[in-house]
Amino acid sequence: MSELGTVFDIQRFTISDGPGMRTEIFMKGCPLRCRWCSNPEGLSQRIQPGIYSAKCISRKNCGDCLAACEHDALIFSRGRIRSIDRGKCTDCFRCIEECPSDAIRKWGSRMTVEECMEVIRRDKGFYERSGGGVTVSGGEPLMQSRFVASLLRACREEGIHTCCDTALSTDWEDVERILPHTDLIISDIKHMDSAAHKENTGVSNERILDNLRRLSRTGSTIILRIPLIPGVNDDDHNIEKTADFILRDMNGRVQLLQLLSFMRLGVEKYRSLGMDYGMEGLKFNRRSFQKRVREISGYFRERGIECRIGTTGEEGK
Amino acid sequence: MGHMNSDLHTMAKGYDEFDRNYSIGYESGHSDWSPFPRVNSLRRTFLEREYYIDVERFRNVTAAYQENEDAPTVIRCARAFEKILMNATLHIYDDDLILGEIAAPAKASPQYPEFSVNWMLYEVMNEPFEEREHDQCYFRSEEDRQEFIDLCGYWRGKGVDDLINTELDDEQTKGSQTGRKIFQTNLYHYGGVGHFAMDYAKILRIGYDGMIAEAKAGLARIDKHDPDFASKRDFYKAVIICHEAAKKYILRYARLAEETASCETDPIRKEELLQMASNSRQVAGGPAKSFWQALQLFNYATTMTLIESNGHSVSYGRMDRWLYPYYEADIREGRISKEFAQELLEVTVVKMNNPTKVRDGGTVRVRQGRGFGGECLTIGGVDEDGKDITNDLTMMILDASVHTRMMCPWLLVRMHENTPYELKVKTVECIRAGYGHPKIFNDAPTIKAMMRKGCSLEEARDYAVIGCVEPALPGRENGWHDAAYINTVKFFEMVLNGGRCLDCGPHCARWDRCGALGEHLGPDTGSLDTYQSFDEVLESVDKQFAYWSDQMCSTLNIIDKAHRARKPLPYASAFFEGCLEKGIDLTAGGTKYNGIGPQASGLATCADSLAVIRQLVFDEKKYTGAELLAALKDNWIGHEKLYALVNGSKTHHYGNDDDYADDMFRFMFECYCRNLSGRPTPRGGQFTPGVYSVSANVGMGLNTNASLDGRRAGEAISDNIGPVHTDAGPHDTKGPTALANSVAKVDHSLATNGTLLNVKFPEDAVAGKIGRDNLISFIDAYLSKDPMHIQFNIMSSATMRAAQKKPEDYKDMLVRVAGYSAYFVELGKELQNDLIQRTELRF
Repeated sequence: MSELGTVFDIQRFTISDGPGMRTEIFMKGCPLRCRWCSNPEGLSQRIQPGIYSAKCISRKNCGDCLAACEHDALIFSRGRIRSIDRGKCTDCFRCIEECPSDAIRKWGSRMTVEECMEVIRRDKGFYERSGGGVTVSGGEPLMQSRFVASLLRACREEGIHTCCDTALSTDWEDVERILPHTDLIISDIKHMDSAAHKENTGVSNERILDNLRRLSRTGSTIILRIPLIPGVNDDDHNIEKTADFILRDMNGRVQLLQLLSFMRLGVEKYRSLGMDYGMEGLKFNRRSFQKRVREISGYFRERGIECRIGTTGEEGK
Repeated sequence: MGHMNSDLHTMAKGYDEFDRNYSIGYESGHSDWSPFPRVNSLRRTFLEREYYIDVERFRNVTAAYQENEDAPTVIRCARAFEKILMNATLHIYDDDLILGEIAAPAKASPQYPEFSVNWMLYEVMNEPFEEREHDQCYFRSEEDRQEFIDLCGYWRGKGVDDLINTELDDEQTKGSQTGRKIFQTNLYHYGGVGHFAMDYAKILRIGYDGMIAEAKAGLARIDKHDPDFASKRDFYKAVIICHEAAKKYILRYARLAEETASCETDPIRKEELLQMASNSRQVAGGPAKSFWQALQLFNYATTMTLIESNGHSVSYGRMDRWLYPYYEADIREGRISKEFAQELLEVTVVKMNNPTKVRDGGTVRVRQGRGFGGECLTIGGVDEDGKDITNDLTMMILDASVHTRMMCPWLLVRMHENTPYELKVKTVECIRAGYGHPKIFNDAPTIKAMMRKGCSLEEARDYAVIGCVEPALPGRENGWHDAAYINTVKFFEMVLNGGRCLDCGPHCARWDRCGALGEHLGPDTGSLDTYQSFDEVLESVDKQFAYWSDQMCSTLNIIDKAHRARKPLPYASAFFEGCLEKGIDLTAGGTKYNGIGPQASGLATCADSLAVIRQLVFDEKKYTGAELLAALKDNWIGHEKLYALVNGSKTHHYGNDDDYADDMFRFMFECYCRNLSGRPTPRGGQFTPGVYSVSANVGMGLNTNASLDGRRAGEAISDNIGPVHTDAGPHDTKGPTALANSVAKVDHSLATNGTLLNVKFPEDAVAGKIGRDNLISFIDAYLSKDPMHIQFNIMSSATMRAAQKKPEDYKDMLVRVAGYSAYFVELGKELQNDLIQRTELRF
């Protein structure tokens, strides 16, 4: 009996997370609750229904989901599905099976390693030509470290480059489990101040920083990122502390630091899940923020840290 | 320059040293692309010039026909050609370095009554060119318009089309452009054929004197035992008349340049004019002796082909091959600087845009653009021994293209496993610049396709591309590419509905002859009401394709023979191997390869429809065939659930690397190719199927009923070899690698008349060095799967929407619409919307 992983998406031909063209496997479930998270469908480990009202063709024209639901969990208004009463819903997903228009979709599915590999193999030629491969991301992939380790091993066995994008807020054994099968680790530092980290992500940063230190002593190749959120972690003090940490604690193993500027992504997914978006109220000036990001990038480079803006960005741009 | 708002859509910028500095290089952020002020100025002048109708050719050809009423047809054609060349008003434009137009001023359309006046007269009287929704043309004066109408009078009954019309029967026309538009053969029904690449190496080597000598030798060779003596004699005489006239015409230009020089006060310009005169005197009869003279003779040779006939897509072959000896010798001997060679190339590229042609309204509705169009210029690839041919000129031609960003020529780079990295970089940089050139062709499957047409391996390796995507042998093939547009979705309607159109009823112009009598438009091969198994459906598809291919091919054979009978091409014939040797005109099959290549549109629409039938009716049994048929007849109204389902993620769709749907596409592709391939043509060649639609998929969609892929009546059918995109959304949702894999699952070499894949990337997906390298890798990986062609549109939907709102600011924004590039703001609204809607593939 092969083990199953909960995957919420497989995207082919991504170029953002790791070198070349890649297939990215998004694992479902995350211990963090970052306010700016753009993949809310990856937070819960449960498989969830998501509602896209605009796609509903109306009760008058269809109504198949209502007939399929035995728990009266579907909420309609003005003739179209609006949300799900998640207290009543038992995750039977019969409504999803019936919906003809993709107005109700299932976030997540249980997959075997081989099922993932069947998708991954299809783009092998593209990985080979571009120096790409597979990136396992999430959610937090290390919440399913056994499955992820098997998946990465399977890729390695077929000569496919492997990358794991993890927040590292997990036990060290989970990290150890995947390391032998992983060519590249992408991780991030969200805040150097533990209280601020907890306030913004729901967890404190000690274990993350500790895992980063340990990781830097394993010989792994590491790309480190900072998701820059205006007013949250872009102040001089935090940036200075982050640079200090990279220079003093990371054993020279950070190959590249990438600055990811905040963008309002994923709003429609929050809505589909009936969740509130944590950055709804954030007001900022895009132009001056961009300027600030360039300043920060300049600062890191002054400190001798190889730093880029964005995941595919050029030096200093 | 208010309209040159071009920095909005450029990303071109060299990264590698060789790219930044190769040749002249280029950079972003300014609207004058070329480093040569002369080129920028010629380009601006071109863009600002209006499109006119020019009646001079019409007047001369009419007079010549009247004067030679008793002459054999081929002689009459030659005399008309001579008359035009002797009487055409000549033009030398400021700053220009290359002489020769198409016997009309730049951007003015001459008339070719030899083919047809019926549509011209009808349109001038009823649907004036000036009032078209797009592609307007203007008479310069009321006198011109009146003369045009008067001249038409002489030609009644004398055109190629008049002969065709007498030979077509109802079974052939009921599906054509004059019937239900299941296939459209209007291009060569109402106009010249073109669609070949002449042997430029030959004319540069031996000049017009050499051509004349060959014809004279032929004339001396034939003897009266030959039953075809008379036709061969007349052919040779006609060739001699044409090529003698060509010499005189070039000398007229030489004299005009000398006269202009004598009045010129600027000493530099004076010197240029004298040099052009001297170049012309040399190539009037003799071979080209320098790079400049080679380009000059190339332009004379080509424009005269366009004077002889208005056939378009007269393509330039492998220019980096045939032009290279002249460049190499001049550089070696220190006669020319690389910079000046580059400037000459760029001047020539701008000049290639001058010829324009008024097309009939029906053609214009499905195929837009006022240029002659389709002048494909092929670079790169391998030689006869399979070795890469990339040279300086390959790179310089790419530079010339990106420095001018004109609609023509349609630049094409041949790629193969040993294409140099530098050429890939330069190619991708041009693609990223976002002006629609170049397109990429894949040597391996194309060489295989050429061999399917009967070429030897050595010949096949020397292919060039004609028009959009049609591979052909320069100087040895008269392939009649682009011969007909086939709406396979209309074929498919007959499959669904027992040989009837879905909207069969009294509103149809054929009703009294067809439906009212209980007749069917096509054979009754079953309907969704009756099919008991999926195999029966597939069998029915095959039968309909066979039936409609019969109608179309027999129609094209009639058209082919009418061209031979009424409009031989003695001038162009000399540029094709075999014609002068055998004494047989190009239109009569004088050269070596003589195919006819129609092209299919809508195969993905049919494939997704088949997937729906297979999945919903036969596999899942969720719906009956009758229910599907009812939904189509109701144009989906009242069938919202089914409409959502076939457009949604629960149904299999071609273009997602999903074998279930991709198998359906392969069936359609093979069924289409099988039913056309190998049928004999009147010139001794065979039919060659193509899978591309240019922009015809939009126009065809307008008169096509709803289809099972979730398309409502009137929406565009699927384009080229690409996936379906309906108003409900694109059917390919898995990104470019999945699309590439789907497209590569068919054997492209079966489509001997070419296949075409459009991929649109937004600007930001290919940004930076990483974006550039990923685009190169994407092309490499894609081509390794053996598809024939790919081209990219690099632009954002936002850019296109902005261009719709303020067309005046985007006058020079080029997009590639299927196989050809066009100015976005000149396209019809529907086509603009179609372009915007196409799936935006994101890295």
